[in-house]
Amino acid sequence: MSTVIEAIDVCKTFGEQRVSKNISLAVREGSIYGLLGPNGAGKTTLIRMLSTITQPDSGEIRFRGDALKEVHAHQMGYMPEERGLYKKMTVAEQLLFFAELRGLSNRDAKAAVKHWLQRLDMMDWARKKVEEISKGMAQKVQFVSCVLHNPKLLILDEPFSGFDPVNADLIKDLILELKRGGTSVIFSTHRMDNVESLCDHLAIIHKGEKVLDGSVSEIRRNHFTGMYDVGYHEEVVWDLGEAAPLSMEKNSDGKVVYRFQTSEVFTPEHLLSAAMLKGKLVHYTEHIPSIHEIFVDTVSKGGAPIAL
Amino acid sequence: MKNIFVIFKREYLTRVKNKTFILMTFLAPLLMVGFYAATIYIATETGDDNRTKTVYLTDYNPSLMLSNNPPANYVFLPAPSNEDSAIADVKSGVVFGWLKVEDRDVRVIDSATYYTAETPSLVEMEGLKSWIEGKANKHQFAKLGLRESQIDSAQSRCDILTKEVSNSGDVQESSSALKSGIGFALAFMIYIFIFVYGSMVMRSAMEEKTNRIVEVIVSSVKPFHLMMGKILGVAAVGLTQFVAWIVLAVGLVFGISALFLNSGNGMSTQEAVQKGIEARTGMATVGAMGGDGAQVAESGSGVARDLAAEFTEPLSNLPYFEIIAVFLLFFVGGYLLYSSFFAAIGAAVNQESDVQQFMMPVTLPLVFGFVIAQTVALKAPHGAMAKLFSMIPLTSPIVMVVRAPFGVPFGELALSFGLLVLMFVLMVWLSSRIYRIGILSYGKKPTWKDLWKWLR
Repeated sequence: MSTVIEAIDVCKTFGEQRVSKNISLAVREGSIYGLLGPNGAGKTTLIRMLSTITQPDSGEIRFRGDALKEVHAHQMGYMPEERGLYKKMTVAEQLLFFAELRGLSNRDAKAAVKHWLQRLDMMDWARKKVEEISKGMAQKVQFVSCVLHNPKLLILDEPFSGFDPVNADLIKDLILELKRGGTSVIFSTHRMDNVESLCDHLAIIHKGEKVLDGSVSEIRRNHFTGMYDVGYHEEVVWDLGEAAPLSMEKNSDGKVVYRFQTSEVFTPEHLLSAAMLKGKLVHYTEHIPSIHEIFVDTVSKGGAPIAL
Repeated sequence: MKNIFVIFKREYLTRVKNKTFILMTFLAPLLMVGFYAATIYIATETGDDNRTKTVYLTDYNPSLMLSNNPPANYVFLPAPSNEDSAIADVKSGVVFGWLKVEDRDVRVIDSATYYTAETPSLVEMEGLKSWIEGKANKHQFAKLGLRESQIDSAQSRCDILTKEVSNSGDVQESSSALKSGIGFALAFMIYIFIFVYGSMVMRSAMEEKTNRIVEVIVSSVKPFHLMMGKILGVAAVGLTQFVAWIVLAVGLVFGISALFLNSGNGMSTQEAVQKGIEARTGMATVGAMGGDGAQVAESGSGVARDLAAEFTEPLSNLPYFEIIAVFLLFFVGGYLLYSSFFAAIGAAVNQESDVQQFMMPVTLPLVFGFVIAQTVALKAPHGAMAKLFSMIPLTSPIVMVVRAPFGVPFGELALSFGLLVLMFVLMVWLSSRIYRIGILSYGKKPTWKDLWKWLR
């Protein structure tokens, strides 16, 4: 599959501060790419370079194989973290303006505005000024304003911050819908909630460096820790010597789950056969770390690059 | 280029469709005319003290015959012989005042005393003074053996007519007062418009920055295009308002002046207005036909040339095409130059209150240009100072316009405009560098040092 946007060894410095250090990444056509990182990691700087707002000091950005230029902006949609609308303009005028800025002809822009307002049941609000509509409504307008021109690549900086939960879900659905329509999406976030359900691919940025990158399933597989969970309806007594459970957890449904670390000596098969002898075994799974755990683990290790 | 147009369109349409804009466009000429009319009304009608004043007159110099023909609004009564009772009557308000003229030569200081309960106005004092002087003069002339009719015929009056000799040898009537007036009015308009529309550009840039819209916009438009679209959009708003005002103002002024003055009394006024209108409406054709309108004025000229007639021929002889062309070119040039500064300021600051520190160096040359226009350029429109400041791009939009009615050689105009355009290109380039970084810089209040860093 070809890439829609690709960064190669991109560096950016503000004064003394190196905000992007040799970052390389590639977003495949039709995929959703998550940029994870704590606040101040350099996500916004990277995103601004990808969306042609700023230029890297060194390195290269390619859009569908060509060096990134201003003209490519017409094929991109961008929603910054800090966002706003013209308060004195009506919803429809505003959307029309953004659509035309993204290169649509006046007629196409009008059609797109109509389509999206109908899609989100907002036709009644078209003639209202932005200062007259609710904040939630303005958030929808904000999102629509960057997808009107049916972009090939949608770049979203912290798209879920500042949105109420209902709108956040709506935007999640819209992102998935756009993906099905062939739009690639790259978004940054410092929260993990939506990453696992949305992303095909992700990268963790920490202190201006990419410390981890891969498909979500790949990353999780690579972070396989050899931990297994076994569960019963009641507590059991363990006498496995060295291989004592790492933790015990009581679920709300009364299930008791023990976590074990397996190894070459104490294999998953050893655990299973031992576990079956302890009582009525109702649960046996490989523990796969969540992206959140991987993220916390990676960042707390000081962001040393992890080879995959 | 398409993007500049999209920005331009938004800037233009949102402003022109704005209710305040529409209201002000229609109201401003009304306010202006109303203000003008009110000033004239107040000056002519209500300024005078119309009370009839009863005043005691003590005239120790009967040869002046002061009690004959008292000035308008005065009734003179002979004063009681007792000075104290005269003063008591002034104090109690039985009479307004007591005018005591000594038995002395009137040329001597303090030859008259005026007792009043309320301090008389300067105008009243001047009136009484010249009335007494008039009486005294007559008395003096009579002593020299001159009759009243002889005195009148000895009065002289002189008006100087200005005639300009052009390069081609044509001689045309002109008026320095008229040219100064027109030049000053045009300079004032440019001065005001640069401020009004320049700060419009500034507020627009600031709005986009504080509303955080700008980041979305610059992801599809170059900051330079955004800035240019904005500047040009507001310029178009200015020109629209301008055209609307001219149309409205001309209509109103003609309408009102015709109505007002025709109903007034006196043939001379009516004639003057008639001639004024003829001259003004005939301006374009007159200009084209080479000053035939002079006849209109000549017919009205006599010993007593009234105001309108006095300006009729100079009005028709003004280099209209040149004045309008200079005004438009230098207005647009000056606006573009200054609005690029204003745009950079708007982009640099985070809130309105931070604007002040950066405004000073921008407004200073503008104010300075206006001061130069008022003083040097009006006194000596072809002097070295006027020439110098009409060349410097920061002051030329104002100073050159003042000089325009007096006739500026084409070479000077071309050089000055060329410099203005050059300066504009340079400043737009510099401003766009500040703009580019400023619009995405939030947080602390920018300093001059920051701006300098952004420039490099």
